[in-house]
Formats: sequence, structure tokens, C-alpha cells
Amino acid sequence: MAAITEIPSDNIADIGDYKANSLWRLTVRRLFRQRSAIVGMIILAVLIIVAVFAPLIAPYDPTAVLIGVEDVKKREAPCIHLLGCPEDQPQHIMGIDGNVRDVFSRIVYGTRVSLRIGLFTVTIAVTMGTLLGATAGFIGGWLDNLIMRLMDVILAFPFFLLAIAIVFVLGPGLQNAMLAIAIVSMPAYARVVRATVLSVRETDYVEASRALGASNIQILFSRILPNALPPLIVLATLGIATAILDTAALSFLGLGAQPPTPEWGTMLGSERNQIFSAPHLVFIPGFAISITVLAFNLLGDGLRDALDPRLVHAGVKSD
Amino acid sequence: MKNKPYLLFILMLILGLALVACGGTAEEPAVEEPAVEEPAAEEPAAEEPAAEEPAAEEPAAEEPMAEFEPMSVAAPNCDYGGKISSIEAVDELTVVFNMCKPDPAFLAKAAFTPFGIQPSEWIAETGGTGELLEHPIGTGAYMVEDWVRGDSVIFKRFDDYWGTPAIAETAVLRWNQEGAARLLELQAGSVDQITNVSPDDFQSVIDDPDLQLLPYANPNVLYLAMTNTFAPFDDIRVRQAVAMGVDRQRIVDNFYPDGSSVPDYFTPCSIPNGCVGDAWYDFDPDAANALLDEVFGEGERFSTTIFYRDVFRTYLPEPSLVAVEFQTQLMDNLGIEVDIEVMESGTFIDESTNGRLDGFYLLGWGADYPHVTNFLDFHFSAENPQFGDPFPEIYEKLEEASTIADPAEAEPLYVEANNAIRELVPMVPIAHGSAAHAARADLKGVQQRPFGADYLYLLDNGTDTVVYMQNNEPISLYCADETDGESLRPCQQVVETLLDYALDSGETVPALATSCEGNEDSTVWTCHLREGVLFHDGSKLDANDVVASWAAGIDAANPYHVGNTGTYGYYSYLWDGLMNAPEE
Repeated sequence: MAAITEIPSDNIADIGDYKANSLWRLTVRRLFRQRSAIVGMIILAVLIIVAVFAPLIAPYDPTAVLIGVEDVKKREAPCIHLLGCPEDQPQHIMGIDGNVRDVFSRIVYGTRVSLRIGLFTVTIAVTMGTLLGATAGFIGGWLDNLIMRLMDVILAFPFFLLAIAIVFVLGPGLQNAMLAIAIVSMPAYARVVRATVLSVRETDYVEASRALGASNIQILFSRILPNALPPLIVLATLGIATAILDTAALSFLGLGAQPPTPEWGTMLGSERNQIFSAPHLVFIPGFAISITVLAFNLLGDGLRDALDPRLVHAGVKSD
Repeated sequence: MKNKPYLLFILMLILGLALVACGGTAEEPAVEEPAVEEPAAEEPAAEEPAAEEPAAEEPAAEEPMAEFEPMSVAAPNCDYGGKISSIEAVDELTVVFNMCKPDPAFLAKAAFTPFGIQPSEWIAETGGTGELLEHPIGTGAYMVEDWVRGDSVIFKRFDDYWGTPAIAETAVLRWNQEGAARLLELQAGSVDQITNVSPDDFQSVIDDPDLQLLPYANPNVLYLAMTNTFAPFDDIRVRQAVAMGVDRQRIVDNFYPDGSSVPDYFTPCSIPNGCVGDAWYDFDPDAANALLDEVFGEGERFSTTIFYRDVFRTYLPEPSLVAVEFQTQLMDNLGIEVDIEVMESGTFIDESTNGRLDGFYLLGWGADYPHVTNFLDFHFSAENPQFGDPFPEIYEKLEEASTIADPAEAEPLYVEANNAIRELVPMVPIAHGSAAHAARADLKGVQQRPFGADYLYLLDNGTDTVVYMQNNEPISLYCADETDGESLRPCQQVVETLLDYALDSGETVPALATSCEGNEDSTVWTCHLREGVLFHDGSKLDANDVVASWAAGIDAANPYHVGNTGTYGYYSYLWDGLMNAPEE
């Protein structure tokens, strides 16, 4: 016997409204039923607010050196008046870095940099990967072979080493680091899109569209590629986390963001020797990276569960 | 039927085991091959010394029998501009240095590690490069056993050493660029002594009963350099603006340990004639901006790069922080936009000292010998391209001054030279740093030498092995062609010079030469070699070894003048140029 899907009573009211039960509406509903995804979204929302309102939140210019401005010394520990730090000392809730700059302000502005890194990198990787994967899967033949072997070549190298090699060729810098990460991330997206295209292009509704005179471009973009969106969204969300982490790693090695950009990986790298003498300078940017990556990972996992019809979801059960 | 899967599984297992066994035996030769090769590969290595030994011993054995044929190296004439006219072996134990012009600093220079003596046969055998770069053969208390690239240099005690033998049988030289990592190793007891404690860690070393802090007074200077062959540094006003626009006191106050100072002159004042003439510019951003406005127009500025190597030095204890501080100050004070570029140490030295960096660069100098020529002549001689086209206003005075033995008599010339440096601003002196090494509290024989590196043979931790950690890996162990302190330290353990510096001062003391005497005007120096000194290969030191070692460095036409880079920086700079140098 085939499994019978039982629609819960609270969803019955929606059945009459076809539009209300579109894939995306169901996905959002499923997403909001997952606690981990909600946690991820809340963290992300906070990060976005911090990034957008950084100039209002940060008490100092992130590159401003406070020598001669305030009576502070390099690598001073956090001073929070509420926690007993003397009122006559300037408040720096995350302390002072080696170049006598306010760490909190740099962390706040670093949020902008990190989110930009994640979005830019994944946008490039998804766009290029989708175009290549769709072309390979839809046209097939020697072009498919050429594109996918090229992707295989990229995948044959260790991810991070290849990124380092690309940055060495292009030269150190945040933009080049993002481009390098985008290039090495691209094959994953290309493979997913190609697989979807291959599985969908021979289906009846595609044949029907073709019979009705739709052009190849129309068929590809309006009939086939929408099927690749759910896995792409999941992959891209998780990819943002990876991109942020990898770019931070490149910056840690001095290949990514250059001073005085307030990038978390650079901040961590420049003070790595002070892990015992001034641990706040290492742990705070490290924590910021972790929490951002965690947010995207939680959201990505939630999206995967919400978008994957094979998984069991609350409200939809199978016998 | 039920047992069939089990039987099949057992059959598969047996077949698998058999295959593995066959594979093992089949692979064995493949595994053995390298094992066979290893001895084969080792054989030459093992044979080399063995082959050398007889070769080396032969002359040693023959030496008393064979006629001593004295060698010499000479410049065609003194027009080449250098100081050395000829070096001659007079007899087995006497070498004469004939100078083109008086050189009162001869003794101090001759004690410097790059002028170490190696057997003439070894230099010839290696062709002046190759194996010579990794396995120097000297007369020192230690000999190089192995250089594990990226990890350590291992020294073994030389039992036939002419002086006090090494206390520990084995000395290991390791390196780590990170000050905190070096200190951690010391605290963990995995090394006995480390170089250059980070300024932030001074107090923690003092507070630790298991450690001892070893401050040392090596005169040094950090400078912000510019190469005048690149725009806009070809404009003297730009260089002067930078000299006035950097708040050096702020840098010293925030990034250097107590005891460091802001220099008024390039040379530290502990060196005679170092601090004569007009003091350096005061911090004056308004005057600096006025100069830049003249050059670029009102409010218009330029952008450039600041290069540095991320290597801890006494003169630059926190390179990355200081680089960012310069970036900040140049932007805030002068509106100059600066990118920061970290370079690999060897590449940085090569590029900067050859005048190929088109931006600012951060470099410094620690005194090698206690004479003003070590600072001024090295940096501002006519042969040194590191600041671009050399300045005759500076080097002509230096050349004249360097021939005068009496410091008081030379003072007016150094006044003029220092004033010319101030006026022409090839670089901006930023700081004279104070520094300290650290060691385990129970380590005996520690030294706080103002000149020259620590001697490992004096260290005693009560075991057979002492481990010393420095800031970086040596570039090569053929120090005739190196200027890097990290290379000079291991060289000094192995290869000795005619003279040496006293452990507690800059005075020269006998080493391979029992004495070196100059004539009245310091144009002829005669050195008498110590008798019975043996090299690590068993051969005996004689005057020809001195001539051969010096000739490989000073004579550009010598077939063994190859080295690591072929620059022979110290030979060129300290003796005012190389003999027979090809015309550019």
C-alpha cells in the first residue's frame, strides 16, 4: 500500500486556497516550526541590525588609534563600568587592541565586512555554478564533459590550498580572497544544478512545454531551474558560513583583508601571539566568527529540513 | 544452503589474506628499494666526509712534508675604490693585508663573523656554493651535523677544538618567529634559551623563578627607508616631509620596551662619533604638509606601500603593530595612503638591500662591531644601492673619515656626514630599541654580549644537549655572503675569524690569529695565526686558508665568488667594494 498522507485539521482550512499552500509558504511555515532555525534567524537578524546600524552602535571609528585621545594603553583588558571598572577610566567593553583601537567598534564594523564577504562570495559562486551546471546539464555532449571535468579538476585540489594558491596569484586583499573562495566553491553549485537539470529535462511537463513551442532558454529558466532552487538555497546558506570562515582563515594568514580593515580573521591573526597575555583580543573575534557561522549553519539546516520533501515534518506525517 | 554465505565469506577472507600476503611480498622490494637507495643515497653522504677526510687529511699529512706555496689575492690597482689592495700569505702562519687607504677599524671588522675562515680545499671542492651553504667547515667548538630545513640546525662538539671545548656534546639551534611561542617553549623547558623576549613579556619572565631575563646592550636602529630611484621619493621634499611627519616618540612610547629611545642620529650614541652634527627633525606635521603641498598641490597626496618582514628584531619587536602605526600616522599626519605588505624574510632582505622596493620599508640594524663605520659606511657607502642612488655628499665624507684613526680628528667629517644624512633623508631613524633574551634559570654560561652572537659552547644545562631558539631560520650557513643575524648566529658556532669580540665589550681579542698589528698609518696589517689549529675535516689551518676564504669574498673575479646570492654584502660594504667587480 502506498503511504497515505494525512493532512492535519489545522491545515484543512488552507486546502481551499491553492495559492496559500505554495511551496514557499509551506517552507516558511515549516521553517518557523524548527527551533534551531529560529535561533539561527534571530542571531542573523541581530547581526544584520548590527551591520546596518554600525555607525550608531560603535562608539569609535574602527580604525581610530586612541593614543593621545584617551588615557588607554595597548591591549588593555575590557573596562565595563557596570561591572566595577572605575568611572574615571574610559569604557571599552571589549578592551583595546595592540594598536590602541577600540575592539568593540572593530567587532561591530567587522560584522559588515563578514556579512558582505559571505553574500558576495556565495552570490558569485552560485551565479557561476548555476550557469555552468545548467549549461552542462541542458546542452550535454562535449560541453558537459568539458565543464564538469573542469569542475572535477577544481575539486581535485584541497579546497583551502587552492584558495591560497589563487590568492597568491591574484595578490593578497579582501576582494581577491573573496574571489578565490568563490572560485573554489563553484563546483558544488554546478554539480547540484546539473544533476537537477539532468533529472528534469526529460520529464513530461518539459516535453509539453517544448511541444507548445517554448524556446530552450524559456524551458531552462522557467521549467527546469526552479527545481534546482531548493537545494541551491540550502547549499548557498551553508556556503555563506563556509565562505565567512574561509575568508577569515585567509585573512588570518595575511592573505585576505589588509590592515586596518576591521575584519575578524585579521584581528585574530594579528593578535594570535597574545592568547595568554591578552586573551580577549583572540577570543572575541573568534567568538564573533563562530556565532556568525553558527547562525548560517542553523538556518541552512532548517532550510534543508523545510525544503526536503523526503524528511518528516511536523504537521505532515506518513504511515 | 544456509552455510553458503559463511563459506563464501571465509573463502573471500582467505583469498583476501593471501592477496595481502602476496601484496606484501610484492611490495617489499618496493619498500626495500628506497631502503636500498637510502644507504645508496647515504653512501655518498657518508662517503663524502670519508672521501674528504683522506683528501683533507692528505694535505694535513703532507703539510709538514710539502713545500708551503703561499697564496695571495690582489687588486690590479687601487682605482677600484676599495680598501684592500692585497692579501698575502707570507708563510704558513703569517698573513699580510695591504690596504689602499688607512683603515683604523680593521681589527674590529676582521673579528666579524662573515670574515670567517674555512679550508681552501673545501672552498675549492664546493666551488664556493652548494654544499658550502649548508655545511661550513670551520675551526669552531661545534661542527654542523645536520640542518633539518624548517626545524633546526644540529651541532656536534668538535673534540679537537683548540680552545675551551664545548660543555654540551650536542647543541640544537631552533627558531620560531613568534615571541610568545618562543617564551612558551622556554617556560615548558623544551629550549634552554630564547632570543628577543617580547616587550610585553619582560615582566612575566622577571616574575618567573624558573627563568632569567638577559638584557643586552646591542646598539641598533630601526629606520623607515625610501628608495630615491622611485617616484615620489626621488623628490627630496617628500623625504623631508616624511622625516618631519612621523611622530617617532609615539612609536617608541607605545611599541618599545623601557630603555628604548628616539634617535637624534642614525648611529646610536654609544658608538664614538655616532652622535655628532645636527639632531634629527622635530615632529612637525604642519611643516611636513607644507612641503607635500609644494610637491603635489594643496591637499593632493600620493599612495604607496609599506613593506616589512614579520621577524622579531631588537630594533623592531612588534613588526605588524609598528607597520600599522606607520600606516595610521602617514594617513592622519600627512594624508598619505599606505597599503601594508608583509614579505618573506629572505626576499625582503634581498629586495630592500638591492633598492628594488618602490615604497616605504621597515628595516633596521644591530651593531656588528663597535665602530661608526659599521652603521654609516655600511648603509651610505657608494656601493650600497638600498636607498637608491648613493649620495656623494654622504659617502665622500665617510670614505675620508674612515681612513682616520683618531676619533677626534675624524669628528668634523662625521659631523658633515650626519648633517648630510639629515638633509638628504635617505631614511628616517625611528628607534633605538632595548632588548633582552631569556633563559632557564639553571642554565649556566649565559652571555649578554653587546657584539656578536651568543656562544653555544659556553652554555651548560647539566645535560649533553643544549637547545637555543632564535627568531628565524638561517638563510644559509655560508656567512661570507649573508647579512642576516639569524644566519650569522649558527655560522659563529662553527666558523671562526682571525679575531673575536670580548664577551662583555666591543674590544677585540685573539682568535685564529694570536695578534694582528698595523703599521703607523694603518695601511698594512700583519696577522700571526695560531699554531696547531685544526678544521673540522682534520686539515690544519694555515695562511692560505685565510687568503682563500677572504679571496672568495673580496675578489669578484675569484672562481669561488659564488655564495648564496653572490652579493657578499659585508665584503663589499665594509671594505668599500669588491676587487675586480664587473662594471655595471
